[in-house]
Amino acid sequence: MTRYVMVADLNRCVGCQTCTASCKHTNATPPGVQWRKVLDVEMGEYPNVERLFMPVGCQHCSDPPCMEVCPSTATGQRKDGIVTIDYDLCIGCSYCAVACPYQARYKVEEARFAYSDGPTENEALRFDERRIGVAQKCTFCSDRVDAGLERGLTPGIDPDATPACANACIANALTFGDLEDRESNVSKLLTENTWFRMHEHLGTDPGFYYLWEEK
Amino acid sequence: MKPTKFSRFGTSHQAIWDWRAAGNFICGGAGSSLLAVSTFAAFPGVADGRLLLLAVLLIGAGLAFVWTEIGRPWRAFNVLFHPQTSWMTREAYVAALIVALLAAGAATGVAFLSHIASLAALLFLYCQGRILKAARGIPTWREPAIVPLIVATGLVEGLSLLVLIVTMQGAAVPAMFAALILLVALRAAAWLRYRSRMNASDMPLSTRRVLQSSHLAVLGVGTAVPLVAAALALAVPMAALAGALAALAAAVAGWHFKLLLITRAAQVQGYALGNKLRRGHPFAAR
Amino acid sequence: MSSTHKVSTYCYQCVNGPDMLTVEVTDGIATTVAPNFAAKGYHPADGKVCVKPYGLVQKIYNPNRVLKPLKRTNPKKGRNEDPGWVEIEWEEALNTIAQKLNAIRATSLIDEQGYPRVAFTTGGAATPYFYMGTFASFLAAWGPVDQSLGAGGTVKCYHTEHVYGELWHRAFTVCPDTPRCEYIVSFGNNIDASGGVTSVRRHADARARGIKRIQIEPHLSITGASASEWIPIRPKTDPAFLYAMLHVLLHERPLTDLDVPFLKARTGSPYLIGPNGFFLRDPASKKPLMWDAATGRALPFDTPGIDPALVGSFTVSGMEVGADGKTWEHDAIEATTAFEVTRRLVAAHTPEWAAPVCDVAAYRIRRVANDFIAHARIGETIEFEGRTLPFRPVAVMLGKGVNNGWGAYECVWARTMLMVLVGGLEVPGGLLGSTVHISGMDFDRMGSVAPHPDGFLDYPFNPTDKEHWAAQPQVRHGHTTLIPIIGGGLTSQLMGSTVLSWMRLQGRAADSWGQPKPPDVWFVYRCNPNISFSETDRIGETMATFPFTVAFSYTQDETNHFADLVLPEAIDLESTQLIRIGGTHYFEQFWDTQGWVLRQPVVPPRGEAKDFTWIATELAKRTGLLEAYNAMINFGAAGLPLKTDAYDFSLDVTRAHSVDETWDAICRAASADVTGGTASDGLAYFKEKGFRVKPFPKINWYLYPRMEDLGLRFELPYQERILRIGQELSARLHEQGVTWWDRQLHEYEPLPTWKDLNELWASAYERAYGIKASDYPFWLLTARSMQYAWGGNVSLQMIREVAANIAGHDGIMINAQVAEQLGIEQGDRIEVTSPIGVTSGRALLRQGVRPDTIVMVGQFGHWKTPYAKDLDMPSLNNLVPMNMDLVDGTGSAVDAVLVNIRKVGRKSK
Repeated sequence: MTRYVMVADLNRCVGCQTCTASCKHTNATPPGVQWRKVLDVEMGEYPNVERLFMPVGCQHCSDPPCMEVCPSTATGQRKDGIVTIDYDLCIGCSYCAVACPYQARYKVEEARFAYSDGPTENEALRFDERRIGVAQKCTFCSDRVDAGLERGLTPGIDPDATPACANACIANALTFGDLEDRESNVSKLLTENTWFRMHEHLGTDPGFYYLWEEK
Repeated sequence: MKPTKFSRFGTSHQAIWDWRAAGNFICGGAGSSLLAVSTFAAFPGVADGRLLLLAVLLIGAGLAFVWTEIGRPWRAFNVLFHPQTSWMTREAYVAALIVALLAAGAATGVAFLSHIASLAALLFLYCQGRILKAARGIPTWREPAIVPLIVATGLVEGLSLLVLIVTMQGAAVPAMFAALILLVALRAAAWLRYRSRMNASDMPLSTRRVLQSSHLAVLGVGTAVPLVAAALALAVPMAALAGALAALAAAVAGWHFKLLLITRAAQVQGYALGNKLRRGHPFAAR
Repeated sequence: MSSTHKVSTYCYQCVNGPDMLTVEVTDGIATTVAPNFAAKGYHPADGKVCVKPYGLVQKIYNPNRVLKPLKRTNPKKGRNEDPGWVEIEWEEALNTIAQKLNAIRATSLIDEQGYPRVAFTTGGAATPYFYMGTFASFLAAWGPVDQSLGAGGTVKCYHTEHVYGELWHRAFTVCPDTPRCEYIVSFGNNIDASGGVTSVRRHADARARGIKRIQIEPHLSITGASASEWIPIRPKTDPAFLYAMLHVLLHERPLTDLDVPFLKARTGSPYLIGPNGFFLRDPASKKPLMWDAATGRALPFDTPGIDPALVGSFTVSGMEVGADGKTWEHDAIEATTAFEVTRRLVAAHTPEWAAPVCDVAAYRIRRVANDFIAHARIGETIEFEGRTLPFRPVAVMLGKGVNNGWGAYECVWARTMLMVLVGGLEVPGGLLGSTVHISGMDFDRMGSVAPHPDGFLDYPFNPTDKEHWAAQPQVRHGHTTLIPIIGGGLTSQLMGSTVLSWMRLQGRAADSWGQPKPPDVWFVYRCNPNISFSETDRIGETMATFPFTVAFSYTQDETNHFADLVLPEAIDLESTQLIRIGGTHYFEQFWDTQGWVLRQPVVPPRGEAKDFTWIATELAKRTGLLEAYNAMINFGAAGLPLKTDAYDFSLDVTRAHSVDETWDAICRAASADVTGGTASDGLAYFKEKGFRVKPFPKINWYLYPRMEDLGLRFELPYQERILRIGQELSARLHEQGVTWWDRQLHEYEPLPTWKDLNELWASAYERAYGIKASDYPFWLLTARSMQYAWGGNVSLQMIREVAANIAGHDGIMINAQVAEQLGIEQGDRIEVTSPIGVTSGRALLRQGVRPDTIVMVGQFGHWKTPYAKDLDMPSLNNLVPMNMDLVDGTGSAVDAVLVNIRKVGRKSK
């Protein structure tokens, strides 16, 4: 059994958005679509204020509300826990987007580019018509994971088998790995640190863990 | 509710479903309910075919609204692929079933088929409630009390339409006004239950404001006016227009509420820190 | 068939580089940036890069790029004048420049006022040098070049830390020994936003280890977010907090709580001060004296076995050496130790005194001071690469806003004093310098260590004696004339008072020197001073008076709007250069390897963008400088000498070399450099491998062992040399009739006295602008945007998109309660007015900002740069006055300004 999860260490994250940018590169998302992003969170009232940075995106829930509501079965779940979207099945009803309590899903109705005068060469090269009018979200870079596994690499350890955001994170705040493996990087982090998951009460069993030491 | 470190934030309004989605809940709710109540009114006979046609057209109009909103309209039939869990798939099947039953009924003249269709229409209405409840990303939708509220609102709308139509035909009967009073009261109860649940929740101020304005509309226009007017229509046989007013107010209030629910009261869940910090491997308890 | 490959290169968009990356190229088109995983184990952050280089792909394909040389056709220059750009061929562009340059060579390189006729301006703390190929070799071959027309340096940098840090501990920039540090007191040091990849990584690791950081700053910054505690201090009152900390250590704690052995052996604390303020010296050897309690007499500082007194005054004989060789012979006078004088300086600066100044409770100041000393582990040692060293895991850090302008000397001195008192300077765990610029080569910090006869580090002050003082300014800000501490080396011009240059060109400063003429030819590269400096509108008007400006530019912008030629150079991912990596470098770049890394074209240059090495070679050819230019490359101006005793890869000086030929030779020399002469691999090797390094001993991260080996002392607390130099400089300037630098001369104090900076600012404004300071009740500050800083990337959509996730990139941050009092709601448009300018933007209500402070992140306010001009983002720069009263003794000023605000519109959707 395998369950891929992401661990985000809020004590490490500085909100630099390198993960956001690397995700945009690797997954060629159009302007305004951020499968991975980092929130700037401010809590309390002056002068008792705290600020922290919180990476968010698809939580790859065990019980994904998006998959439950999806009328076309476009949203699926792999045996390793990664929640997927079949762009060729999706009808673009966006029901999944309102069902997701993590605002992880996007739908782009028409081709969108960085500059108003049409696609740049790199955008043209990487434009994927299949993503127009359908739901899209973080894939945990499943194509990278699969390609890496085929080469005998370990996701979360070997860069070529690891999601781009975790590879790119300059603070080592994002760690990807197999929760079922008790010796894995993520298992160790969760064993040795305090953590929470977002909106656990909604029963989604998210695969995204936040390490946090409260001040 | 005073915000804490663990309060939700980023609870902006959903920008995914617009008035067209509301149109499905408005038309689909009214149409399915019209089918049910008109069949009930004609039972054991068959309702006026024009009423049934109107009901089907309304359901169809609702689905057409949705069709214009989906990103890949030419794949619309893929909506049927997931009856196991998706209430949207189920709604689509039930809609198809309604059409099939009514068509078969019209072709064969077997009244039973239209009776079954009216039950399917109630199921359609229930599906609509469940569609919202399953939208776990929107706290005002996922609240379980939304289901009876959506059903009650739909029933009021269907009956109101029937009352309006028969009043125009000069064929209104007191039982309809009495039924309207009953359903409006039921809806008010469903609304109060829903509202008290929501008020007890951590909904953001923006949601609270919208629900408050909705509260005044549902209880005033949608409840007080219809109750008084329908009671008048019951008490004074000549006051048929009062019955029409009751129906109109009751229906409009319901539609207004659904429009607000989809387009203004649908703040997303947002984000939050977890207030239960744990240590140890998540599977340690296994 | 689609084909994909990866190309390795470097990013040096900010001083925290270089970092290494790879770029994926599919069918000849760059698509994806990723870390260079092959650098794991060499690069301190495992070969990762920050968010900025992810903008480089879009930078290549940005449709708003300038891709062909442009010539101005409208001779009238002005913001509202259309330059009338027409596209021309490179041939015409180069010939036009050569014609101007040859005309200069035919007359004189120096104009009649004595200033270079050619000027060159760049930005990014000189990081553009790592993008301009061999252009530096061309400039070196050319001769005198004025680099005083700064783009923001000395206002946008850590200026006082640069100069005093380098003087005291070879620390052009400082940082904690983060991997070992346990307690940091940070005065607005925004390291997580400004320290680059390595800093972020080191601090994240340190937090995981449990480091404590107290963040003292008016606005809860990116870095404040991860601090253990935020103390919102009133702007520009940091010296009071620091002096109160010194007071706690020097007056509330017994001497035995401090690192007494360190103070006695490694600092000038025991040196005796004579009645004229100079060290009391041994008349025979001229060596400073210390009081030896054992023998009851004063002995030279280097007397073996001496146990000098730290505290007290003693009756001694000796001599003082003052300014211009003046001496005093003393017989049995009272002399006090430098340490004692320092104690007296801070006697009145109690936490209770500082509390109302800083708007911070006295107990908090006291607690921070006591925690600092508690965490210092005085007396502990650590084994380090076979050597026993003191272990002092504490550091005091200063942010940019407290590191320049008035008050910065106090801050930097007090900070370094705090480190010295606990023996935490340049030892494991403590505060370290990272690189040098004035006293040596930036890649060889240890090589810059040389002894001074007084027992301190030697330092190349510009001479102030009558015979050697540079009475005639060499460039328009007269750095060697006015500012002894910045030296006269290769990079010293960049540390001169750039405010002074622009104000002189505007005829409003240094009146006795007259108004200088603009340079005949001005080269501008990879910067936009008309956005990034102060009083930008006025700078634009000044630029409009320049007769011939050549801008090497990526897009049209607010500076090249005034240019005569705009030339497209091959940008970051399109061109070739080999540069050094590793060792110890800016901020937190501490490596255990050192070597070279290549930047290579990931894709061919777009349009007619040209590699800068090609441009430099073409200019050299056309100006008859080819031989000198090649000789400069051979000499080492492109990175390292091409000929040493160990190898010879020198270029034939008589002919022009292609870009690849040139860099192949440099790569070969670099291979030899890292292999002790055994390898000679050239460009092909580096293109494939990306980088090549050799080990760098970690002991070289610390200056202390070297100081100990040489028996040297840190020149603290007492600044005898500064006092002497100040008196000499004062005499020189007054002999010349210069009185306009008198305010700056006040800073030449041996111990900096505390000043009320809020009062200083208020009175300077009232004098200059005829306003009432109370009408400007807010401090407007800026804060670093990691996504934008130095990137030249304001025209990139992706950068904008991701930066917008961070507060402050969409408006002006203001305290929410204050906003409510002023009737300002989230998103309302507010107008911000300083005595010299006005701007407006959306209000961004925040809790993490003081009620008397507003914040504008980054540097925006564009009106020409494509895309950026539509961002509707305000900038504080045009509101910050250039005002000589606000320029400190080292020539720097700070980009903070007093303002008022008012609501001018409701939130617009």
